[in-house]
Amino acid sequence: MSDKTEPIGPATVVVVSGGSRGLGLAIVEDILAKGAKVAAFARTVTPELEALAAAHPDRVLAASVDVTDVKAINSFLKETEARLGPIDALVNNAAMGQDSLHVHTSPEQIAKIIETNLTAPLLLARAVLRRIMAKGNRGRIVMVTSVCAQRGYSGLVAYSATKGGLDSAMRTLAREMHGRALVNSVAPGFFASEMSSVLGQTQLDTITRRTPSGRLVEPENIVPVVRTLLFDDTNINGQVITVDGGNSI
Amino acid sequence: MTALSRDAIRTMMAEVLQAQGKAMPVDDGANLEQIGFRSLDFSELALRVEDEIGEELNFDAPELRQIATISDVLDFLEQLQAA
Repeated sequence: MSDKTEPIGPATVVVVSGGSRGLGLAIVEDILAKGAKVAAFARTVTPELEALAAAHPDRVLAASVDVTDVKAINSFLKETEARLGPIDALVNNAAMGQDSLHVHTSPEQIAKIIETNLTAPLLLARAVLRRIMAKGNRGRIVMVTSVCAQRGYSGLVAYSATKGGLDSAMRTLAREMHGRALVNSVAPGFFASEMSSVLGQTQLDTITRRTPSGRLVEPENIVPVVRTLLFDDTNINGQVITVDGGNSI
Repeated sequence: MTALSRDAIRTMMAEVLQAQGKAMPVDDGANLEQIGFRSLDFSELALRVEDEIGEELNFDAPELRQIATISDVLDFLEQLQAA
């Protein structure tokens, strides 16, 4: 007898949005290393993701899909199930950044950030959960949010709102999907690579000194946390796990 | 859209229960709580019906809270298809 209170099993077919570079690509590689199948999409498929798909044609599906294109997303999910089998996990990673004061951000740009970082991930989670439930299956969802959802950082008003919104939705989904899905967020701090592109070395040194762990966050720090949420039986559900070297404490 | 018959929905409901090792009672007046058919089981059934008819059946939670028996489930899904 299938008891719905049994632990939800490890992920077997994982959809990763924004999986072509940086953290998304590192997550894709790690899922593969764990032996699961992965369907990754991004607006642009990088040579790195293409190479993974070519090396593992039976375990990796890669496509160029805009996360805000609902029709294309649904086609991609259908193709994923036809090629790799029933989807049972999602890493909602795709997002666009912001670096502008709120008073100088156009209404159109604010709407675009909300569509990409909040509406699209909600619709993607809805589509994946509908597929999981229609088959009577269970699954796992990981939202990649940000420490910005918890602390104020200048130049990131709309971005922070979307990440906070996603964390809130995550908690409600975790409750709503009672026994059918584990839903959690991983909230990275600022990556060293991101910060170095907008900050000078002196500022970077100051931030690093103020970080209790003594170092800024790298994608490699986030990957094991996502791995645990996708594969381990931890009973972690409805939580935001912040990975920022303790900078926000 | 070709609507599913009451019998076809009943068969699907039995399949949802069967997948959990539960039996579908003969009596449509049976209470859902007693047979272990929960709200997410209803969602699963609605999604299976959607798959068959090729159309989404979206509804608000208060409507779902009125459902107490197998008969209520079948009535509700018939109404949703007709709406």
